[in-house]
Amino acid sequence: MVKDTVGQLLTEIIKTPSDYSRVSREIEKDDLLDKINISYLSSYTSEILNPFIIVELAKKGYKGSIYYAPFNQFEQEIHNEDSGLYLSDPSVVLIHSRIEDTHPDLIKRFAKYSDSELTNLSDEIIQRHKLMLEDLRRKSDAKIIVINFGSSQMIEEYFDSSPVVQSQQIYFQKLNNSLLDLCNKIISCYVIDYHKFFTGLGLDNCSDPKLFYMARIPFNSSSQITFGKIIARMIYVIFRVPAKCIVLDLDNTLWGGVVGEDGISGIQLSDEYPGNIFKAFQRAILGLRDQGVILSIASKNNIDDVLEVFEKHTDCLLKKSDFSSMQIHWENKASSIEKISKELNIGLDSIVFFDDNPAERDWVRAQLPDVKVVEVPKNPINYLKALHESKFFDSLIMTNEDRVRADIYQQEQQRKSDLFNSVSVDDFLRELKMKIKIGFSDDITITRIEQLLNKTNQFNLTTKRYSSSDIIKIISDGGKVLWLSSADRYGDNGIVGVAILIEIKHKIWIIDSMLLSCRVIGRKIETAFLAEIVEILKSESAYELYGQYLPTKKNHIVSDFYKKHSFKLTDKKNNFWKLNLNESDIIKPIFIQVSRND
Amino acid sequence: MIDDFKLKEVISNVLGIPTVEINNDSSPDSIEKWDSLSHLKLVMAIESEFNVELSPEDSMDMLSVKLIRIILQDALKK
Repeated sequence: MVKDTVGQLLTEIIKTPSDYSRVSREIEKDDLLDKINISYLSSYTSEILNPFIIVELAKKGYKGSIYYAPFNQFEQEIHNEDSGLYLSDPSVVLIHSRIEDTHPDLIKRFAKYSDSELTNLSDEIIQRHKLMLEDLRRKSDAKIIVINFGSSQMIEEYFDSSPVVQSQQIYFQKLNNSLLDLCNKIISCYVIDYHKFFTGLGLDNCSDPKLFYMARIPFNSSSQITFGKIIARMIYVIFRVPAKCIVLDLDNTLWGGVVGEDGISGIQLSDEYPGNIFKAFQRAILGLRDQGVILSIASKNNIDDVLEVFEKHTDCLLKKSDFSSMQIHWENKASSIEKISKELNIGLDSIVFFDDNPAERDWVRAQLPDVKVVEVPKNPINYLKALHESKFFDSLIMTNEDRVRADIYQQEQQRKSDLFNSVSVDDFLRELKMKIKIGFSDDITITRIEQLLNKTNQFNLTTKRYSSSDIIKIISDGGKVLWLSSADRYGDNGIVGVAILIEIKHKIWIIDSMLLSCRVIGRKIETAFLAEIVEILKSESAYELYGQYLPTKKNHIVSDFYKKHSFKLTDKKNNFWKLNLNESDIIKPIFIQVSRND
Repeated sequence: MIDDFKLKEVISNVLGIPTVEINNDSSPDSIEKWDSLSHLKLVMAIESEFNVELSPEDSMDMLSVKLIRIILQDALKK
C-alpha cells in the first residue's frame, strides 16, 4: 500500500458520505497509486457512486478515473467509436441496465403478462445485452463487468409467498441465469450479483425513495457505500493473481488441542462442539483444494503423532494425500515455508500462511515479507471468517487446470521422489512416458493461454503479458498462438506451454513469446516444443527463425535456451538469436511422444 | 444549536472548497461546484452527519447555507 498522505488517510476510519468525499478528493491529487480508467454505463445517475468507488479502489492500490456516460445511453456509447466511452480509454467497462428503468411493468405489474409475453420480454432483454456486449468486445480490450438484474421494488404484494411473487422471483432468477450464460461466452466479461446484493441487504435497507424520485438514484447512501465496495473488489479481483497455496499449522488449527500432549483421542475433532468447529474448518480447506488451491503443512510436531491422526482419526477429513508438501519437524516455520516454495516450484508471494500462534505469524512476516499471512483470530469459531475476509483466494477464472492443479502438484511430489531413486535423468524421463500435444489457440483454450502468459515467470523467454483480446489481435494480424499440453504416467498436466510466433518479414518469423509452466520444467519438453514450432514454420516455407531472451529476476533458467538449441546470437545488446531453418534442425527427444490437435 | 464548524466542514468536504470560502450566503449561484448532483451529495452527507432525515421538499429548499441551517434546525427538533 502507498506510504504517503493518501496511504495515511486510507488507514483512518472512512464511514460517512462526507468522509468519502473528502478522501476521494485527496486521492485525485495522488500520483503513486496505479491509475485505472473506468467507464460506467447505466440507466440511472451512477455518478453519485463516484467517491465511494474511488476510495474503495484506492484501498486496493488503484487510482480510478471514471467516465459516467449520460444515463440510458448504452447503444449510443457502445456502437459509436467516437463516444465518450472509447475516448476515456477504459480498462474496465461497467454495464448496469436496471429492469426498473427499462421495463418498470415487469416489476410492478408482473401479473398482467402472459407466459409467452414474459418469454418474449426476457429474450429481448438478453438479445439486447448480447448485441451490446459483443460489439463492445469487438471495439475494446477492456474488462467488462455486467451488473445483473435485481430490484429494490418488486411487485407490491403483502404476502411474500403468493404464487405471483414466487413466479416473479423465478422469472428474475432465470433471466439472471441467461445473462450469466451470455457473459460466460464473452471473453473477459464478468457479472456482479446485484440481485444478491439487494436481497442480502434487505429491500428496506437499500433504497431511499427521496433520492429515487428526485434523481433516479436507486439506493440510499449506506448501500451506495456497500455497492462501491463490491465494484472495487470486483475490479481488484479481475486484475490480481490469486494465491496458489495455503500453508497450515496443525495443533489448534486443523484440530483443537496439541496432539503430542493430548494424544489422538484427546484432540478436539468431532461432530460435537467444540470438535465440530475444526471439522467444519477442515471441510472448508478441502473446498479450497477442490478449487485448485495447493495444501501444505508447516507444523512443529512429531511426524508419527500427526500421521496417526491422518490415518486413524475417523473425524479427520483431511488425509495425508491431500497435502502436496508436509514440513513436520522442529525447525522454524519460515524455513519450512521456503522449503515448500522450492519443492512445489511456486513463489513465496503466492503462499498464504495460516497459524493460530501469533509468534509464528510474526516470525514468518519478518523473515518472509512476501508470504501472505492471515491474521488468525483467537477463537476458532472465527477462523473461516478470517480466511474468507483475507480475500487471498478470491479469483474469477477457475479453469480446468486450476481444478486439477492440486492433484498435479501431488503427482509432482511422486515424480520428484522417483527422480532420486532412478538411475539417470534420461532413464527417468523415458520412464515418464511423456506425451505432448500441440494446437492453436481457440475459444476453449484462450483463457488458459491468457492465464499462463500472465503468471509464468520462470520458464518464460520474454515475459510479455498479453490479455485474451491481445491474443485475438495477434492471430487476426497473422500471428500464430500455440498451446502445448502434456501428460505422463502420473496423469494429465493439461495445457502447460504457450508460444507466440509472428512473421516479421516475408517468411522470416520470430518467437515473440515462449513459456512452460514450472511443473514441467527439466523434462526436455521445451526441445520438443521448439522442434514442432520449426516444423510448423517450415511447412509454410519459412527460412529464418528469430528468438529473443529478455532477462528478468526470475527467468534465468532460460538464459541459454537459444544457445543450447544452436541458434546464433545476432544482436548482443537486445539478445536476439537466429536459426537458419534450411540448414539446421531441432532434434526431438525420442522419449516424448508428440501429436497435433488437428 | 447546530455545530456551525461541522456544517461548514461537511459542505467543504462535499463541494471541495475551503471552509473559509463558505459563508451564510453561499449558494449554488455563488459556488460553481454546487450543481444538482453535488446538492444531492450534500443532502446525503448532512443526513448522515447530523443523523436526520430530510423530506424531498426540505432537500430541494436548502439552496443556501443560511437555508440549510434553518431547515436542519427544524428537522432536528422533530
